[in-house]
Amino acid sequence: MSVEAKLIIKDLTHYYPDEYTGESVHALENINLQVYENEFVAIVGPSGCGKTTLLNIVAGLLPYRQGIATVDGIDISGPGPDRGVVFQEHAILPWRTVSKNIGHGLELQRLPKTEISRRVHEYIDLVGLTGFEDRYPHELSGGMKQRVAVARTLCADPVIMLMDEPFAAVDAQTRITLQDELNRIVMATRKTVLFITHSVEEAAFLGDRCIVFSRRPGQIKTEIKIQIPREERVWKDMSSNPIFTDARDEILRLVRQEVTSDDEQ
Amino acid sequence: MTSNNNVVSFRHKLKKFTTDGAGRLIIFLIGSIILWAFISLFIIERPDRYLPSPMAVILSSLDMLYKGSLISFYSDTLGRLVFGGIVGILIGIPIGLALGLNRTIADMFYPLMNFFQSVSGIAIFPVVVIWFGNSDTTVMIVILYTSFFPIAFNVLSGVRSVPVRYIQAARTLGASRLQIIRDVLLPGAMPSIAVGTRLSVGFAWRAVIAGEMLAGRPGLGNMIFSGQELDNTAQILLGMVMIGVTWIVLDHYLLRPLEADTIERWGLVQR
Amino acid sequence: MGAGAEMITYNRLSIALQKRFGRQRLRRMILGSIPFIVLIFLWELNTHFGWYDPIEIPPISAMWEAIFWLQSDCPGFVAAIEGHNDCNLSNNIISSIGRVILAAAVGIPLGVAFGVLAGINRVLSGYLEPVGIFMNSVSGIAWIPLAIVWFGVGWETTLFIMLNTIFWLIFFNTMMGVRAVPRVLVQGVQTLGGSRWDTIRHVYIPGALPSIITGMRMSLGFGWRALIAAEMIGGDSGLGFMIFVSAVEFKSEEVFLGVILISIIYLISDRWLLVPLEKWTVERWGLVWKPT
Ligand SMILES: Nc1ncnc2c1ncn2[C@@H]1O[C@H](COP(=O)(O)OP(=O)(O)OP(=O)(O)O)[C@@H](O)[C@H]1O
Ligand SMILES: [Mg+2]
Repeated sequence: MSVEAKLIIKDLTHYYPDEYTGESVHALENINLQVYENEFVAIVGPSGCGKTTLLNIVAGLLPYRQGIATVDGIDISGPGPDRGVVFQEHAILPWRTVSKNIGHGLELQRLPKTEISRRVHEYIDLVGLTGFEDRYPHELSGGMKQRVAVARTLCADPVIMLMDEPFAAVDAQTRITLQDELNRIVMATRKTVLFITHSVEEAAFLGDRCIVFSRRPGQIKTEIKIQIPREERVWKDMSSNPIFTDARDEILRLVRQEVTSDDEQ
Repeated sequence: MTSNNNVVSFRHKLKKFTTDGAGRLIIFLIGSIILWAFISLFIIERPDRYLPSPMAVILSSLDMLYKGSLISFYSDTLGRLVFGGIVGILIGIPIGLALGLNRTIADMFYPLMNFFQSVSGIAIFPVVVIWFGNSDTTVMIVILYTSFFPIAFNVLSGVRSVPVRYIQAARTLGASRLQIIRDVLLPGAMPSIAVGTRLSVGFAWRAVIAGEMLAGRPGLGNMIFSGQELDNTAQILLGMVMIGVTWIVLDHYLLRPLEADTIERWGLVQR
Repeated sequence: MGAGAEMITYNRLSIALQKRFGRQRLRRMILGSIPFIVLIFLWELNTHFGWYDPIEIPPISAMWEAIFWLQSDCPGFVAAIEGHNDCNLSNNIISSIGRVILAAAVGIPLGVAFGVLAGINRVLSGYLEPVGIFMNSVSGIAWIPLAIVWFGVGWETTLFIMLNTIFWLIFFNTMMGVRAVPRVLVQGVQTLGGSRWDTIRHVYIPGALPSIITGMRMSLGFGWRALIAAEMIGGDSGLGFMIFVSAVEFKSEEVFLGVILISIIYLISDRWLLVPLEKWTVERWGLVWKPT
């Protein structure tokens, strides 16, 4: 049972049609990818290589024509609560308080109020926002907003959590804290995660597997396994962990290759 | 190859046209005329009274053009708008400036102006009629009254929005009070003046129509009003279309570009 | 009581006032009331010396008396609320305000509903944008003659004018507001399992709310003016009708009274109802809507 992957992508190719000229942008080329239960897969690649495209397809926000994409064996045909997304921009609703935002998914699934508030409290504690339950998003810092977004996604209990550069808009210090926290949260909730970033460090720090994309049209260039137990993934230890540093340097080399060969053309 | 390119570029152009502002406007106009004609010809009873067809309206416009009344009405109305708009703005700018420059004057007169602004130009019409009768003066007073407030209030807030730093900087360069007004405050308030101008002209346009209707002075307003009295609904529709189209053209091709240009050129303060 | 005691009372009072309102606000209140006091003073002087004819500028006392004279046959407060035939002034006030409320109760939901439908669909909203602009630019006053043809002189015409103004403004503002809602907010709710209806309820309408409220303020501003004009030209009741008829009969105290009532009603509903509503959404949700 558990051998079967949670997310399966087979031979996925995507073109964006251009409305005016009729020419199209070739965004993804023949992607094959599996994400297994409890796995944390990080995707890195140069800017504009189609990472967001892939994530949007998996999220069901972008219809695809060529290839297969399934979650838990079911074809992806639109957005659904089985695939939670944390967006790069702040996508939490400004007119809902922190706890209302976090409980939104459960509210949409029409769960009883007591059950919602119990789960919401649990996740507020988990992401460390206790005391901010009744604040509105504009009263929070950027880092706190992303914590709300993560809690909102997890609270709806998706099969897989999709994250598109979730920490790109916060400052470097907060980013490190959030990465540590995300690691702890993933450990605690045992979630399956597909994580997109263009920070090589971030990918190597968080990912059980790192997928390196080529430049556009996006193809999977290599896959690197990083076998460090989750418990050991803490920034203060990681920077001296040779498995981490080796993997990071290797990924960096591969990504640099893509970027520089881009320059040569 | 070439023909294929042509097809592509034609499709491109068509797509651009249909998503472009002017293209949409034209499509909308044609669409609504067809809809209007359909309702008038096939749905409504006694269309000549309740909703004459576009054809009837065109005929009525030709008739009025031939008799010369259409052009004279139109020029009367436009004349009032231009005169009333310009004078209203010319009165509004200095008063707005004075209020923006001096806090005491502003604190003193702001509530009064606020009160009179909420007494709309249309509501004071009966008062003005008692004073000046159903005359051109009455209509002009109503127009001036309506167009004055938006520009005055916008100039006021425009002057207030100029950062104090700029004024201090000019002071340290030895600028006199007058020079500060000319070189710092007026340019700084330009975007607000442009916004206020557009609002003022918009308000004035409504006031022109209402004033002509109420006072019975010749113009588009009176044309639609007498259309109702004469049981000539085609004339009403003609007037309404002219009122709407004139405003859209004026707004789209004069006021909006003016506003956008001014904000772009002088808009340091606003962004 | 000596002068010293009076002085102390005065000081206490002024300190209490300053504490209550704040120094700046007190200064502003006092300065702001000066022109009103001067104006009323001049007005009284005019009555006293008769510079202008009472028909041109009626005495303030006559305006005050007009209130009672217009209500003189009214049997009582309850009768006034019920719209008794002889309660002239209150009937006109109720009739104007009633039309605003009725038109708002119908026009706002309709405008929001159509505005949301149009705004969700980008292509459709592109085509409907000029419709909104056109309707808003012809709206109000220019419709009065056609409305008279359609509905005759009476309350239907005035209601139609008000409804027409409200509907198009709310429609247009809702549409633009919905269009400006960031896509990612909608996608966020969709990925939580929200249906189309959920995105409308939880995202589009609250997101467009600041713009809708701006539309409501504009509706009241333009609509109230249009309503007064419609009552003058095509109505048979209401404050606009009252001042128009009174002007024809040269009862200027009634005209002045009516004009002042018209602006006070507008001021109160704008400042005490719509402005706080606008502030509320902005402050609570940290949203600012910039009109296009
Ligand atoms: N809606 C669209 N229509 C046409 N082309 C698009 C569209 N969205 C993206 N593209 C193009 O597809 C390519 C891949 O875009 P995508 O957003 O997936 O890149 P990305 O890897 O997420 O980049 P980044 O790291 O900058 O976020 C880009 O070249 C982009 O220009
Ligand atoms: Mg991206």
